[in-house]
Amino acid sequence: MHRVHAIRRLSDDSYVLRFDRHGLVFEPGQYVSVGAGGDVDMREYSVYSGVEQDFLEILVRKVASGYVSRRLARLAPGDEVSVDGPFGYFTIEPEFRGAKHVFIATGTGISPFHNFALSYPRLDYRVLHGIRTLEDRYEHALFGRRYLSCVSRGAGGDYAGRVTAYLRDGAIDPATRYYLCGNCDMIYECFDILQTAGVPHHNLFAEVYF
Amino acid sequence: MKYYLLQLGCQMNISDGERVKSVLRSIGYAEAEDEREADLLGIIACSVRQKAIDKVYHRIHTWNRTKRDRNVLTFLSGCVLPSDREKLADRFDLIFTINELPRLPQLIATCGVVTPAALQASNYDRSSAADRESPPVTERTPARTTADGRARMFTPAFAGPHGVTEDIRDGFWRVEPTRTSDFDAYVPIQNGCDKFCTFCAVPYTRGREVSRSSDDILAEVEDLVARGYRSITLLGQNVNSYGLDKRSAEMRFAQLLDAVGQVTAGHDVWVYFTSPHPRDMTREVIETVAAHDTIANQIHLPIQSGDDKVLIRMNRNYRVVDYRRVVGVIRELLPQATLFTDVIVGFSGETDAQFQRTRAAMEEFAYNMAYIAIYSPRPGAASSRWRDDVPEREKKQRLAELTEVLKRSAKAANEALVGREVTVLIEGRDRKPEYLRARTEGRIPVRVNAGAGLHVGRFARVRIASAQALSLGAVPVRVGAAV
Repeated sequence: MHRVHAIRRLSDDSYVLRFDRHGLVFEPGQYVSVGAGGDVDMREYSVYSGVEQDFLEILVRKVASGYVSRRLARLAPGDEVSVDGPFGYFTIEPEFRGAKHVFIATGTGISPFHNFALSYPRLDYRVLHGIRTLEDRYEHALFGRRYLSCVSRGAGGDYAGRVTAYLRDGAIDPATRYYLCGNCDMIYECFDILQTAGVPHHNLFAEVYF
Repeated sequence: MKYYLLQLGCQMNISDGERVKSVLRSIGYAEAEDEREADLLGIIACSVRQKAIDKVYHRIHTWNRTKRDRNVLTFLSGCVLPSDREKLADRFDLIFTINELPRLPQLIATCGVVTPAALQASNYDRSSAADRESPPVTERTPARTTADGRARMFTPAFAGPHGVTEDIRDGFWRVEPTRTSDFDAYVPIQNGCDKFCTFCAVPYTRGREVSRSSDDILAEVEDLVARGYRSITLLGQNVNSYGLDKRSAEMRFAQLLDAVGQVTAGHDVWVYFTSPHPRDMTREVIETVAAHDTIANQIHLPIQSGDDKVLIRMNRNYRVVDYRRVVGVIRELLPQATLFTDVIVGFSGETDAQFQRTRAAMEEFAYNMAYIAIYSPRPGAASSRWRDDVPEREKKQRLAELTEVLKRSAKAANEALVGREVTVLIEGRDRKPEYLRARTEGRIPVRVNAGAGLHVGRFARVRIASAQALSLGAVPVRVGAAV
C-alpha cells in the first residue's frame, strides 16, 4: 500500500494525486495501475512525476461515469492507494534522447510528457496541447516556451482550434520524432497528417487513453 | 466423495484445472462423470466473453436449485473479474483465485466438509485457532457462507503484486497436475499479463505477469519426457516476455527455450509454446527454435489486425511493418514452420478500409491456421467502454471473408504436402471407426487410415494422400518412427 501525500486540484474536474513511491522503478513514459486502498477496481494512469522524484504523481480527470477517478478524488493525505506496475512502452530509448521531439497531447494525455520534461532536462522538444479551455493547460509552466496550447472552445491560448488543425497548418519535419498521447480520434487524425507529410513509421509513437 | 469440474476457456484454464483436480484428489475426492453424482461442484471460469460468464451465472443458478434436494458445495475459480467476484459472492460457497489453490483444503474444511485428508489439512492451518479447536464434524453443516451470507473468499486477487507473486511461486505451481492426457501436456511458465490490450480483460482477471522459476519448469519438462510424453506446450499469456518481471534474476524466454531444447534433446517429443506477443518475438527466440530438433516447427503469432491505427487502438504496441519483419525471420530460419494467428474482426471503430488491410495481411502472411473472432466487448476490458459500432451483419461478413482467405492459403500449403511422407502424432479415434485422428508437427489435423500397429499417443510415419483446407488425409507408412 502507498500512502497519499497530497491532492493538488488543477481544475474543477482534474487533480494530481501524489503518493509514496516505495522504490518503484519505472521508465519515463510508463504507466501504473492505481486504485483506492481496499478497492478491487484499479485504473491505469501515466506517471506524471519525474523519474528522480521520491514520490509518484498521477494526473487524473474525473470521469462522470468512472468509478476509480471519482473515488481517488475523495482521498485525503494519509489514505492509502494500491499501485501496480509499471507497464507500457511509450518511452524514449537512450540513443534518441538527443533527437528532436514533438509531443502532441489532448487533455490529460499531457501526463507522460510532463514526466519526460522532468526526467530529461536536456531533451529537445515542443509540446502541442489540445484542450477545450485554458483551464485544461494544467501545470504547463514546466514546459516554458516549448508549450503551445490549441484551444478548441474557449478564448485565449496560443492557437484557436484543434491541435490537428495546427499540425496541418504548420511545418512537419519527417526527421523529428512525434509522440501522440490522448484520445483515439486525435491520434488517428495526427497519424494520417504525419504519414502524409512523410514522417516514417519509426518516428511515430502513440499511446491511446481509454 | 466426488467432485465435478466445469472448465471454460483456454489452455491456461485446462492447465489450471489439472492442478485443481490434484488438490481435490489429495483430500479424497474422486472425479464424477456426471455432475448429478457430485458432492462438490466447481467452475474454472473464463472472462474472455460475456457469454462465458453468463454460463457461470446459469450453472450456479441450476446448482443452487439442486441444493433443495441435495447437500452440495460449490466453488468458483479461474479468470474472474473483481466485479464479477463481488456479484457472485453470494451465489457460490467458495471463491478463490487460482494462485490460492493450495489453500483449498483448508477452505473446504472451514465449510464443514470433512475428509481424512481435509481434516489433516485443517490442522495445518495455524491461522485459525477456531478451526483447530472445533470438534470433528461428521457431516456437512448448512453454514457454508460468512455471517452476511456471502461466499468465503481469500484475499482479493490484487491485494498486492508481491502477495500474488509469492503465492504463485510457492504454492500453485508446485501442485502436481492431474494430467488429462498421457502423451500431451501443458506446462505453465508464467501467469498474468502486463500488455493491457484494450480488448482483453486478462490483466484484470489474472493480474500482472509472474514468471515461474526456470528450475521448476525444466524439472517438469524433464519428468514429462522421462514419462514418455510426446507433446509438451509451454503456456503463458505472453510466453516470450518470460523472465522480464524478474529482471536479471531469471532466464529470458530464448534462454529458457534453449534449456528446454537441451533437456529434451534425443527424445521423441515436440515442444510448443503459446502464445507469444509479436513485440517480444526476437530473432534469438526463432534461432533457438531452429537450433533444436525437439522444438516444433510451428509458430503462433497473433496479429489481431492488419491496420496500424486499429493496432494502436488495441494497444498492441507494434505496427504491421514490425510484424512483417518477424514473419520474415520465421520464413528465413524456419522455412518448414506452420504459421498460426489470431484475428479480431469488427473491433470498435474498425472501418471497411481498415478491415481490408487485415484481409491483405492475411493474404500476405499466408497462414496455415487463424483463429478469427468476431469482436464483442469484454466486460472489464478498456474497449468495453467504447461503442461496439460495427453492425453484427458486417462483422459476420468480415469473418466469412477472412475465413475464405485462410482456407485458400491453408489449402495451398496442405496440397504441397500431398505425396510426402511425414511424422504425425496419433491423438485418438476419429468419429468414423476406420480412421484415427492425428496431427503433424505443425499442428495440422490429419485423418489417418487405421491400421495395425498405430497407437494413440505414439508417432507414426504416414504418406499424405489428400488435402483439404484445414486438414489432411494420410495412410500409414510405418509405425513408431522417430521424430
